[in-house]
Amino acid sequence: MKRNVKLSFILLLAFSLLLSACSGGGKKEANATTKDGKVIIDFWSFWGSETRRPVIEKIVDDFNKSQDEIEVKHTFVPWGDIWTKNLAAVAAGNPADVIVNDLASVAHRADNQQAEDLSKLISKDLQSNLYPHLWEPVLYKDKPYAVPFTSDTRVLFYNKEAFKEAGLDPEKPPTTWAELEEYAKKLDVKKGKKYDRIGFYPLWGSFGAGSWMSNADGGKGFIEDGKLAVNTPKKAEALEWVQGWNKRIGDKNVQAFEAEFSSGQTNPFVTEKVAMWIDIAGFYTQIRDSGKEMEIGVAPIPEQETGSGHWNEGGGFALEIPKGSKHPKEAAKFIEYMASEQAQKYWALKNYDNVANVKAAESAATEMKDIEKTVYDQALANLKDTKLHTVPLEYPDYKTRLDPQLEAAIIGKMSAKEALEKAEKDIEELKK
Amino acid sequence: MQQSIMEEKTGTAPKTTEKKKPAKSAVSSRRFWQITSKSKAGKMDNLSGYLFISPWLIGLLFLTAGPLLFSLYVSFTDYNITSQMNFVGLDNYKRMFTMDDLFWTSLWNTLYFVLFSIPLTTAGAVFIAVLLNQKIKGMKFFRTIYYLPAVLSGVAVYFLWMQMLSPSTGLVNTVLGWVGIEGPSWLFDPAWTKPALIFMKLWSVGGGMLLYLARLQSISTALYEAADLDGANSIHKFFYITLPMITPIIFFDVITSTIYAFQIFQEAYVMTENGDGGPGNSLLFYNLHMWKNAFEMFDMGYASSMAWFLFVFIMILTVFNLKIGKKWVYYEGGDNK
Repeated sequence: MKRNVKLSFILLLAFSLLLSACSGGGKKEANATTKDGKVIIDFWSFWGSETRRPVIEKIVDDFNKSQDEIEVKHTFVPWGDIWTKNLAAVAAGNPADVIVNDLASVAHRADNQQAEDLSKLISKDLQSNLYPHLWEPVLYKDKPYAVPFTSDTRVLFYNKEAFKEAGLDPEKPPTTWAELEEYAKKLDVKKGKKYDRIGFYPLWGSFGAGSWMSNADGGKGFIEDGKLAVNTPKKAEALEWVQGWNKRIGDKNVQAFEAEFSSGQTNPFVTEKVAMWIDIAGFYTQIRDSGKEMEIGVAPIPEQETGSGHWNEGGGFALEIPKGSKHPKEAAKFIEYMASEQAQKYWALKNYDNVANVKAAESAATEMKDIEKTVYDQALANLKDTKLHTVPLEYPDYKTRLDPQLEAAIIGKMSAKEALEKAEKDIEELKK
Repeated sequence: MQQSIMEEKTGTAPKTTEKKKPAKSAVSSRRFWQITSKSKAGKMDNLSGYLFISPWLIGLLFLTAGPLLFSLYVSFTDYNITSQMNFVGLDNYKRMFTMDDLFWTSLWNTLYFVLFSIPLTTAGAVFIAVLLNQKIKGMKFFRTIYYLPAVLSGVAVYFLWMQMLSPSTGLVNTVLGWVGIEGPSWLFDPAWTKPALIFMKLWSVGGGMLLYLARLQSISTALYEAADLDGANSIHKFFYITLPMITPIIFFDVITSTIYAFQIFQEAYVMTENGDGGPGNSLLFYNLHMWKNAFEMFDMGYASSMAWFLFVFIMILTVFNLKIGKKWVYYEGGDNK
């Protein structure tokens, strides 16, 4: 019997050896260099769309040609998977060398040891070329853990034709919430109970209830410097305002419209079913590529009252070296190239994003013309009002507590005040 | 689990097979730590037996049992994949029951789905199976048609249904419009999202239907002939012969599809915007909530404790099902076990 047990163990060992031999082989491959001795850098991005993929691949290609030590290999990982896969790879000790990650949560990842400290890897001058408000979020304990690549800001797009039809001056977009509502009502086209065109609905596009609340509250996020600012009078007012739109247009009409464009194939602003639309500046590419001759205008986000401020929200993406990368030095070189004027300008010209490099952002503007320049200039002008709310270290998951309450308020399950009270209480319990 | 139910269904108790086995192979049916035989040949037999099944054994130990136990341990920690794994005792479970509103929402959504979809799909499958068991011309064609949706599966079907359920241009509401009914917004109205999914599930009852059909065909015609002699009408025949005869299949179907229904995930992930559980969290099912905790917030500790709670919950429900099954399931040939 003993022998049997022994033999089984030997068998087990043999098998596990076989298994480990297989996995060992895989790892070696990842470390390989090219035939002519270049170090291969694995770069993960989620830029796989028809508009973005060629741009990022051209930038990578330019970098590969510019020197003969490093060969960057671009891997497209879908948006929904990339950061999960990254964490799994970090945990397994075999991550990519450079990854595009969320700018707002860099410190959170640094805190959890998922990204490399870049303070000794990148040159000290890099910071001075980039926008300070984008550099701030990459710092954790005063050291950079990423380099900002792009950021975005929201712009109010409006259909000039529709403005003319409704008897509005196409050169005078709404500047306050009251005007926005007044214009929206004029732009509505109703057929019986149903809408043929909705002038405006505040939660479509990429400016959510939270953004409106922060717009009303002097640009304040839900957590400022580690303190909760959820249940404030201004935020409650804003949420009530959003509820008002649902009541006026009717849940059913809102749902019917959402259903039509949720498949992502037709944007209702492009098909002229909605006359005003808030989205990132890059949304312009959708209008351009639709092939329609649309006359559009752009404006800053309307302010709650005259003088309260056109507060806007932005996000952004940064380049990071995942913890455990085999070639951090070479990876840092590629990151520096990505933050350079040349690469950033090319990105800005093609995608209308707010790039992180100041010179690139400004010189890109000089090379544009007509409507694309109008859109891009608006995005640049927006920067002074745009807040990037970073993920607070004390409450990294606060949105999971906030969103259900906001949603309950929007569909009318509870009042704005009740929802915010509950959200604030729930978030407090999260404190780490 | 499934296997043992299948055995019950076919009426052969596992015990009887052992008795019938020839004496020679009796040794190999024992486990190696029970071996008493001193013959060398017997040992070699054993060894080669285990050698042959060793890939599976190793797979079970390392790829199933290992992660399973690991996740049990993780459920008592604040594991986040990369940096921490501190023992926190029952904190995760406490949080689940007392602090996480969405936990209750997701549990309710899942229960709602199970409570409505299981009876409806079971009844639907039986109904269609009985219809397809008639002896008329072209039956093969109808059987194929009704089984077809069960062959199609996954994301493509969900997209098809998203189109069909579209409030103003979808096929469903268009047809409802013909008879003067203004259809709801289905997947966009929190009150109608779950009914919409249950409705969609009804479409693919073909899988269950096939099991019932197979059983229906094996019911002895003598029973029906006897009933005819006694003057029974078709309703009597259905309730007193057909239904009792297929209860073992119903039992099997209810248990397996209940377990499966509790794990609903894909539908909600694909059919809601950004996979976030739909309007007003109305499609936030238990597994979706768990997945979000695990792979969006990377709170593996909490997600693991949710997984274990679901496991225990389904386990209790299944044991309960097995217990009450004895009261209503009829096994031909006697020992109603």
